[in-house]
Amino acid sequence: MAKLIFVFLTLIPILCNSFTPEKTSDRRILVLLDDFAVKSSHSLFFKSLQSRGFDLDFKLADDPKIALQRYGQYLYDALVLFSPTIERFGGSIDAAAILDFVDSGHDLIVAADNNASDLIREIATECGVDFDEDTSAVVVDHSGYAVSATEGDHTLIASDDFIKSDVILGSKKIEAPVLFQGIGHSLNPSNSLVLKVLSASPTAFSANPKSKLTSPPSLLGSSISLVSVIQARNNARILISGSLSVFSNRFFNSGVQKAGSPTKHDKSGNEQFFTELSKWVLHERGHLKAVNVQHHKVGETNEPSIYRINDDLEYSVEIYEWSGKSWEPYVADDVQVQFYMMSPYVLKTLSNDKKGRFFTSFKVPDVYGVFQFKVEYDRLGYTSLSLSKQIPVRPFRHNEYERFIPAAYPYYGAAFSMMAGFFVFSAVHLYNK
Amino acid sequence: MATTAVGAAFLLLLLLPFSISIPQPISDSHRSAASNLFNQISPSLEDAYEALRVFEILAIEKKPLDTADTCKKVLENLGSSSPLKDVFYALKVNGILKCNIDGTIFKDIASRLKATLHDASTLLDIYYSVGSLVLIKDQASDVDVLLTDANGIFHSIKALSQSDGRWRYSSDNPESSTYASGLALEGLSGVISLASSEIDQSKVSIVKNGIVKLFDSIEKYDDGAFYFDEKFVRGSEPQGSLSTTSSVVRGVNAFAAVTSGKINLPGDTILGLAKFFLSIGIPGDAKDFFNQVESLSFLDSNRISIPLILSLPETVYSLTKKGQFKVKVSTVFGSAAPPLTVKLVRAFSTGAKDSAIIDSKELQYNQESGFHFLDSFPKNVDVGTYVFVLEIVLHDSESENVYATGGQIHVPIYVIGVIKVGNAEIAVLDSDLGNVETHNTLDLSGNDIVSLSANHLQKLRLSFQLETPNGRVFKPHQAFLKLHHETKIEHIFLVGNTGKKFEIIFDFLGLVEKLFYLSGKYDIELTVGDAVMENSFSRLLGHVELDLPEAPEKAARPPLPPVDPYSRYGPNAEINHIFRAPEKRPPQKLSLVFLGLILLPFIGFLVGLLRLGVNLKNFPGSTVPATFATLFHLGLAAVLLLYVLFWLKLDLFTTLKTLGLLGVFTMFFGHRILSYLALTSTKLKSA
Repeated sequence: MAKLIFVFLTLIPILCNSFTPEKTSDRRILVLLDDFAVKSSHSLFFKSLQSRGFDLDFKLADDPKIALQRYGQYLYDALVLFSPTIERFGGSIDAAAILDFVDSGHDLIVAADNNASDLIREIATECGVDFDEDTSAVVVDHSGYAVSATEGDHTLIASDDFIKSDVILGSKKIEAPVLFQGIGHSLNPSNSLVLKVLSASPTAFSANPKSKLTSPPSLLGSSISLVSVIQARNNARILISGSLSVFSNRFFNSGVQKAGSPTKHDKSGNEQFFTELSKWVLHERGHLKAVNVQHHKVGETNEPSIYRINDDLEYSVEIYEWSGKSWEPYVADDVQVQFYMMSPYVLKTLSNDKKGRFFTSFKVPDVYGVFQFKVEYDRLGYTSLSLSKQIPVRPFRHNEYERFIPAAYPYYGAAFSMMAGFFVFSAVHLYNK
Repeated sequence: MATTAVGAAFLLLLLLPFSISIPQPISDSHRSAASNLFNQISPSLEDAYEALRVFEILAIEKKPLDTADTCKKVLENLGSSSPLKDVFYALKVNGILKCNIDGTIFKDIASRLKATLHDASTLLDIYYSVGSLVLIKDQASDVDVLLTDANGIFHSIKALSQSDGRWRYSSDNPESSTYASGLALEGLSGVISLASSEIDQSKVSIVKNGIVKLFDSIEKYDDGAFYFDEKFVRGSEPQGSLSTTSSVVRGVNAFAAVTSGKINLPGDTILGLAKFFLSIGIPGDAKDFFNQVESLSFLDSNRISIPLILSLPETVYSLTKKGQFKVKVSTVFGSAAPPLTVKLVRAFSTGAKDSAIIDSKELQYNQESGFHFLDSFPKNVDVGTYVFVLEIVLHDSESENVYATGGQIHVPIYVIGVIKVGNAEIAVLDSDLGNVETHNTLDLSGNDIVSLSANHLQKLRLSFQLETPNGRVFKPHQAFLKLHHETKIEHIFLVGNTGKKFEIIFDFLGLVEKLFYLSGKYDIELTVGDAVMENSFSRLLGHVELDLPEAPEKAARPPLPPVDPYSRYGPNAEINHIFRAPEKRPPQKLSLVFLGLILLPFIGFLVGLLRLGVNLKNFPGSTVPATFATLFHLGLAAVLLLYVLFWLKLDLFTTLKTLGLLGVFTMFFGHRILSYLALTSTKLKSA
């Protein structure tokens, strides 16, 4: 018995280990659904997650037994909310619990839809995404709709206005437009963390397609966002879509032809778009880590505790990107280091050796004080890197100044000739007869 | 729970916008989806059975799995110790694959199953045992599977039923389940078919009443689809509405097959169930796929009434392309329906429900394509949204009892066409008089743009006309005019119509506040669009140069334009520190020249001394004073050398220390030699 308890106690730290990108297996995702039918109607999306090593846990959103954490430990690494109509979650989950989940660095995928509940809207608003307040409004585009023989109200739109970012959408260009049917949202202009990934075309607007417009719609044109992502300051990532059906097998498999365009694509861009986007959201791409920050004087290898003004130094840092399986060297030519005291004195772009090592060398400024080496790397779609290392800089010591200044030779000459004269004079004065 | 049902209803409505009103029968896309879905190697016999069954129903030639391997697995699972569920599915697979199985194996299992059945208390045990026995009966005719105690088993299943038609899983589980009802009905039908003696007909009719009661709890979507929903039942896996509904369908079908007489279920319910299964589309989950296809196959061949599905290949018709209104009627699997006529009862515009554009017209039938069609739309059909009310009329009055048609079917139809845009003009007016200052005619289909200028005392007027192909006024859903200032601030206005004419007048005096007193160039963009307008457009009409008054202090500030996300990121400009410039120094040569000049006086001094004829004759002659003198001068030289060393390398502390020592040394010997010299000179003077 005692042995058993011992085994259990030693296992506790292993069992309670929460997610780190270093741990590839056992990444658990809680999927909350309105109806289990979604599990099969959206199976392609779920399958793509499962094939990438995620362990999906499907639950009804009002299941009284669902919980995000137990004994202070989160049970999941990510949450998928495919329950647009849910008014109240079962169990202990509410909007605050979901936001806490995100605040502790976990990822979230939210799909709203027509009839999105206040709860889902509230979660979105907290993330900086405001859905159209008119609950009957959907995104209508009379010029950029998807041509369909059975869909006449132009709410099924084909959008191809993607964010220009390889890290978010993958390096392969998405050729076919993405089918979208749902509600639009706008981004809070004061929120700098939220990004429009899929925008509506300039002719789109958000209104009830059945009723006549009496006032200009509040959401209009390309300011309507259809799918947005947020990367929080703690690098938690959130995907918010105004439509649940964009993830469905039907949209994944259906062909698409945008109105006014002669090309008919056999397959819509949805599958590629959302698979790539989910890779980004679940940190399989664009997650950077910086290790091994080093700096030393040119020609030395040890890190000094202090620099003197005008020293030449070398700085290097290694940056890796998480590929979903392993840490790959990160290659970029825009990583910059600052030598910083109140404001940057030196700002230099680092060169890299394509193996993840970034380096540069520069001369310490002739200002003394307590400086910092700072790397503030904040790029679209990448997790932000913020490294700082403090280092004091001192002035010259008394014996480090120049000793033999040619311009002073006349003065030295005068003193020494005086001394020699004195010596001769003292002898002559004493012994002359 | 109600929220789930409502939520699910909403969700299904959302998921299936294509098929809400017009479900499509099972087609080839289902078959190809099945081939893709079931191509993985099935781990269990249950999956294998489902795959085989789906392929059988859909009549796909290819086998989903390797027959020999599966048969081997079947044999393994027919062993004496395997659980009931595995035996059941092994027999089911065998039913399709017809593996070569020895008769004695069947005999062994049959006796084992009978023994189990005797003490079985839970519904699942009875279900699997009875089901397996029925399968053995079909597969091996020589094995005795007949139940002597059929009435008792029938009763023990019946004992689990509830008053509302639902069943419990076991006698110690008080919760009733709809899913279990399906299993129970299938079990009961098995018992009836295995009974060695006739089952009491009164009991059978009680069960039939139970089925009718069970169907009272059926739920309904707005589009007429019926389904069963399952509450969460303790001690069982949660079942979705699809698996629950298909379980009931399977059970009722099996029960109806073994009992004589009709079960009293309305045809609409059957059609509603078919609609429900079809509305799912193509499920992505193997189990759901199996449930859907198998249930549909039961519905397609049931004895109560066979549902007929009316489907439309398209609901959007273009007046310019002169499309034909086509309708297809088929069974759920897309096979041909009995002879029938599709009647267009009525067609009306969604805006005016009372005035029908088409009244009671029979569609023609094209034998080759299998479509019922309306050869051409009547002349009075203009662009717009319509509802067509269709009805299926069966030719044979007898078949009315066999088929369920669902009465009148409402289908939304969009008739689209090209809208004529004309008489567009844009003008700047003087406010008080209404005089036209500048006047431009626009061709909205072209690309020409106008340049205007106006001040805040003037007005801008834009007008145009929209006409349907039939010459009526067309009111588009979207008629926006956008004023776009250089600073990316946009203002949207709706363009309203009075009669035929669409007109918008900007009175800039009233708009200055809304425009934030921003003078400058505004782009004018007009967007006109509608669901039934084929030529929706959005085009730049031109620019207007506005001259607005200065903003008063209290005026609202224009909102900040949205930040471009791309500019926020990206590298900063490099910063290089500017070092303090070194002090200016004379050239080295000049310093050396001055050094030479400085040394000249010393040389002059030496030359002067030589000229004066100095001598050192007064140097003491005796040893002791001579030693003192030498040491004194050595001391002096050492001090001076120390100064040189101080310049060259030593620091102040070493220098001072050494100087202290040398100073004492020199002072001592200096005192000695000086006192000696003083003594000798006084001696000389006194002498």
